[in-house]
Amino acid sequence: MISFEDVSYSYSPGRYAIEHINLSIDKGEVVAILGENGAGKTTLIKHINGLLKPQSGSVIVLGMNTKETTVATLARHVGLVFQNPDHQLFAETVEKEIMFALTNFNFPEDEISRRVNWALKEFGLLEYKDRPPFLLSGGERKRLALASVLCYDPQIVILDEPTTGQDYRQKLHLASLIKKLNSESKTVVVVTHDIEFAADFIPRSIIMSKGRIIADGDSEELLTNRELLMSASLIPPQLVELSWDLALNPPTIHFDELVSSVKKLLEGREA
Amino acid sequence: MKAFGFDYRRGTSIIHILDPRSKFIYTILFTALTVYFVNPLVLLLVFLSSVPMVAVAGVGKSWLRSIRGSLFFIAFIFIFNLIGIFWTTGSVADALIMSISMSLRFMALISIFSVFFLTTSPEDLTQSMVQLKIPYDYALTFNMAMRFVPTLSREAQIIMDAQRSRGLELEKGNIFQRVRNYIPVLIPLIISSFRRAELVADAMESRAFGAAKRRTSLYVLTMGRRDFLFILFSVAAFLAFLSLKVLFGIQ
Ligand SMILES: Nc1ncnc2c1ncn2[C@@H]1O[C@H](COP(=O)(O)OP(=O)(O)OP(=O)(O)O)[C@@H](O)[C@H]1O
Ligand SMILES: [Mg+2]
Repeated sequence: MISFEDVSYSYSPGRYAIEHINLSIDKGEVVAILGENGAGKTTLIKHINGLLKPQSGSVIVLGMNTKETTVATLARHVGLVFQNPDHQLFAETVEKEIMFALTNFNFPEDEISRRVNWALKEFGLLEYKDRPPFLLSGGERKRLALASVLCYDPQIVILDEPTTGQDYRQKLHLASLIKKLNSESKTVVVVTHDIEFAADFIPRSIIMSKGRIIADGDSEELLTNRELLMSASLIPPQLVELSWDLALNPPTIHFDELVSSVKKLLEGREA
Repeated sequence: MKAFGFDYRRGTSIIHILDPRSKFIYTILFTALTVYFVNPLVLLLVFLSSVPMVAVAGVGKSWLRSIRGSLFFIAFIFIFNLIGIFWTTGSVADALIMSISMSLRFMALISIFSVFFLTTSPEDLTQSMVQLKIPYDYALTFNMAMRFVPTLSREAQIIMDAQRSRGLELEKGNIFQRVRNYIPVLIPLIISSFRRAELVADAMESRAFGAAKRRTSLYVLTMGRRDFLFILFSVAAFLAFLSLKVLFGIQ
C-alpha cells in the first residue's frame, strides 16, 4: 500500500534529511514513527502524499508513483494532519473550515453537510460550529485540524504529533479513533514523541535516528530493547523501566502482563 | 531574506567594517542617481560601480543570488515598459531604450541595497539608527522586521504544504482565481505573525524591556578616517555623475 525504495532527500546539499529509506506498510496497519527532533520523521511522511518527491529512489502509494502524481490526487487518498494546527486553520467558522477539503475534492452538496455534521460530532466541536477557529483553545484547534482532514474519509491517515497539548481524555479519544479507523481497515501512520502512547495503542513501531530507520518491527519488542532506545535518544515507557527494575523476564509494555508478573513475584515471596 | 540575498554574514572586509552611517550616505547618493538618470549607459555605469565593492567585500555569491532572484521582476518590468511605451509612442526604438533603462535602474537599485545589507550587521544598523536619534523602539522594530523575514518565508512554505494536503491547488484557474487560491495561505500566515508578535512582546517585557527610561549602549559606533575617505569618494563619484548632466546634458 505504501512502499519506499531506497529513498533519500536533502534540503541543502551535503546533508540528508532522510537517507536510504526502505519501508513498506500494508493496508490496515497502524504504525508509529518515533525518533529524536530532526530525525527526519516529518520529511518522511511528506513523501507519502507527494509534498516532497524523492531525490533518489521511489515512493509508491496505492500503486501510484508519487513522482508522477499530483499532490491533489494523492491527498484525496492520503489525509495528512500537520503538527501545528495554526498552519492550516483559516476559515471564518469551524464549520467552513471542515468544508474546505470537501469542496476542494468536489463532494456533492448533501454529502458535504452530512460529513461536516459527522466530523463536528465525532470531534466534540458541535457547540463551536459558528465560532472562528482561531478563538478556540490549543487542544480544540488540534481537534479541528484532525476533523478537517478525517471528514473526507481518506484510506491512509497520517498524523504528525497528534497528542501534543492534549489532555489524557483526548488522548484516549484519539486512541479509540485510531482503533475505529483500524477496524474500517484504514492505514494509520502516527508520528509521535509520546512513547507511552505508542506503547499502549500502536502495534508496530519504526524508530528513526539521523535520517535513517534504525529499527522497524513489533512495538513490544522494540520498546523493551534498552540499547536500541538509548541509541535513538528515547526514554523507555515507564512500564518497561519498572519491568527492568523488577528484573522481569521478558519485560513488557502491557499493564495487565506487568500486574500478573508482579503478582507472581509477590506470591513467590510469600510461599 | 534569503530569497532576496540580503542575508548578512559576518565579515572582515573593509566594506564590512565601515560605519553603517557612511554606507548609508553612499546608498542614498547612489539611489538618487539611479532615480535621476534615464540614460541606459549612465545607469549601466552606476550598476557597474557597485561591482568592485561586492568584490572587495567578498559577497559575490549572495549578491549574485539577489540579482538572480530579481530577474523575474526585471523581466516583468522590461516587458510591461516595452508594451506600455510602444502603445503610447508607437516607436519601437524608444520603447526598447526606455525599457532597458528601467530594467537597469531596478538592477542598480538591487545591487546598491544588496551591498548595504550584505555587509551591515543588523545590530550595527540598529545602533546607528539610534545614534542618528531615531527612537530606539522604531529602530528595534525595523531590525526585528528584517530578522523575521526568513522565519516568515519558511512558515509560508509549511502552510502551503498543509493546505495542499487538503486538496488546495494553487495553480488552478484564471489569474483572479489564482490570487484567490492564496487566501487559505495568507490568513494563517497573518494570524500566526500576530501571535508571534504578541509572544515576542511578552517575552521581551518579561525580561524587562523598556524598564529603563534612558538607554545606554555597550558599544558605540564611531566614524574613523576610512569612513570619511569613503564618504568623500562617494560624494566625488556622485558629483562626477552629475557633471555628465551639467557638462554634456546627458540625463
Ligand atoms: N524546510 C526545510 N528547509 C531546510 N531544512 C529543513 C527543512 N525542514 C526540515 N529541515 C531539516 O531536515 C532535518 C529533518 O527534519 P524533520 O522536520 O523531518 O525532523 P522531525 O523528525 O520531524 O523533527 P521534530 O521531531 O522536531 O518534528 C532537520 O535537520 C531539519 O533541520
Ligand atoms: Mg516533525
